[in-house]
Amino acid sequence: MGLGFMIGVFGVLILSHAAYSTIQYRGLLKIMEEEFSGPPMNVVLELLLGFFFCIWAALTVPGNFLSIHPESEENRIVSLSANLDFMIFNHRAKVFPLEIDMKLKH
Amino acid sequence: MAGHSDSSSSEKKSGEAMTDVPTFSAENLQNNMKVIYYSRTFMSITGGVIAGIFGFTGFVGFIFYFLVMTITSIGLIAKAKFSVHSYFDSWNRIILDGLMGGLMSFVLFWTFAYDIVHIF
Repeated sequence: MGLGFMIGVFGVLILSHAAYSTIQYRGLLKIMEEEFSGPPMNVVLELLLGFFFCIWAALTVPGNFLSIHPESEENRIVSLSANLDFMIFNHRAKVFPLEIDMKLKH
Repeated sequence: MAGHSDSSSSEKKSGEAMTDVPTFSAENLQNNMKVIYYSRTFMSITGGVIAGIFGFTGFVGFIFYFLVMTITSIGLIAKAKFSVHSYFDSWNRIILDGLMGGLMSFVLFWTFAYDIVHIF
């Protein structure tokens, strides 16, 4: 979780650096009065790198897939929810002797 | 005896023997759908920023969005170790879910990044 998050932050930082480089490149093109046809090659590489880091973070950070089969290894424990229908009070404890001396104990 | 339900209990959705609906744990399926949703949203935002920086306008941007979503789907299927049926009940969930919602986020961040980089 920590490593994936760091890689995601790193990917976002790389993308913002690529955006800043492109802004500067456009400023340069405005000075030289040329048309913008595409970002320079190093910015393209930077975008690809940031994209792969973000893909990696997007696949690892949100969490793992859990198996949905009821008989798979990690789903072995089955428990019923606390439901009034399943609570019985007519059980064997009624044969315990009554405690006559029932007082509030401090 | 029946324990209290804790966060790791799996609720069964059971079927009858007549119609033979396969049983699966709905809570785990919901967790998996949440993971897909987060992944797709983050990838839509990232794809939008990249499309804006590149300077795509018009139709090419939407082509780029579907390309990013295809890559994300392949990544999710690889994360599920290619046995999709042990984590989801149908192929449509892992391929199509979150596509339209992601499109909105993509267009938002696409216009946002395009404005910042190319207009101001």
